[in-house]
Amino acid sequence: MFEWQSGSLYDNIDKFASSLGYQNAGIAITLGMIPWESTEDRDAFIETITGDIPKGGNSTNYNLQF
Amino acid sequence: MAGNENSGGYRPSAPQNNMGVSATGGAGSKNGQPKRYMPGMKNLGSTGVETMAQQNAAPMSNPQTTPDIGAMRPSASMAKLRTLLDDTANPLEPQSTGVDFGRGLGSDVLPANINPDRRPIENQAIVKKYLPSFANAAKAPNAPDSFKSFVNYLVGQLDV
Repeated sequence: MFEWQSGSLYDNIDKFASSLGYQNAGIAITLGMIPWESTEDRDAFIETITGDIPKGGNSTNYNLQF
Repeated sequence: MAGNENSGGYRPSAPQNNMGVSATGGAGSKNGQPKRYMPGMKNLGSTGVETMAQQNAAPMSNPQTTPDIGAMRPSASMAKLRTLLDDTANPLEPQSTGVDFGRGLGSDVLPANINPDRRPIENQAIVKKYLPSFANAAKAPNAPDSFKSFVNYLVGQLDV
């Protein structure tokens, strides 16, 4: 069964789409496909370009058993 | 036996003329390889004379100066690198003014004839390609609501 994981492709896309806006779906999906070194790197990038904390699913949605 | 003044030895005050030496040796010089007659070129549709002329037509690059490597080093006084959205000389207008994220006013302040580059055609192609996978991921029991609403938004865009 598929489980949602922090740092996965879908998690990245969720964070970018929620932070940049759904109307920017194309760029959000493209940025989500980048193999980020860590979720911290990804979130720092989002924070740099938006000037705000990353939006999207929070830690209660993550499968932290990895 | 005493030698004359041309008998060699270390004479730094003597006129030096060693700058034309080829670094690659052979018959070359600092101006490149000498022209040579190449026999048998007639079989290839040329003559030896033409081939000799071609050898002199386009001399190789011969930079006269070596770039100063030291000049390319970042200076110790170089200002700290700034991020994309740092304050500018105009603090009333952040870098992100005119776009719908970040600080400052959004796209509603843009003139009516300037439309943001949303690239709808490319976006539609990306969405059509990946939507089935996204829909499957949205069914995961612990998928966040934000992702589910994003997938719903994409589905709605395809209906338009």
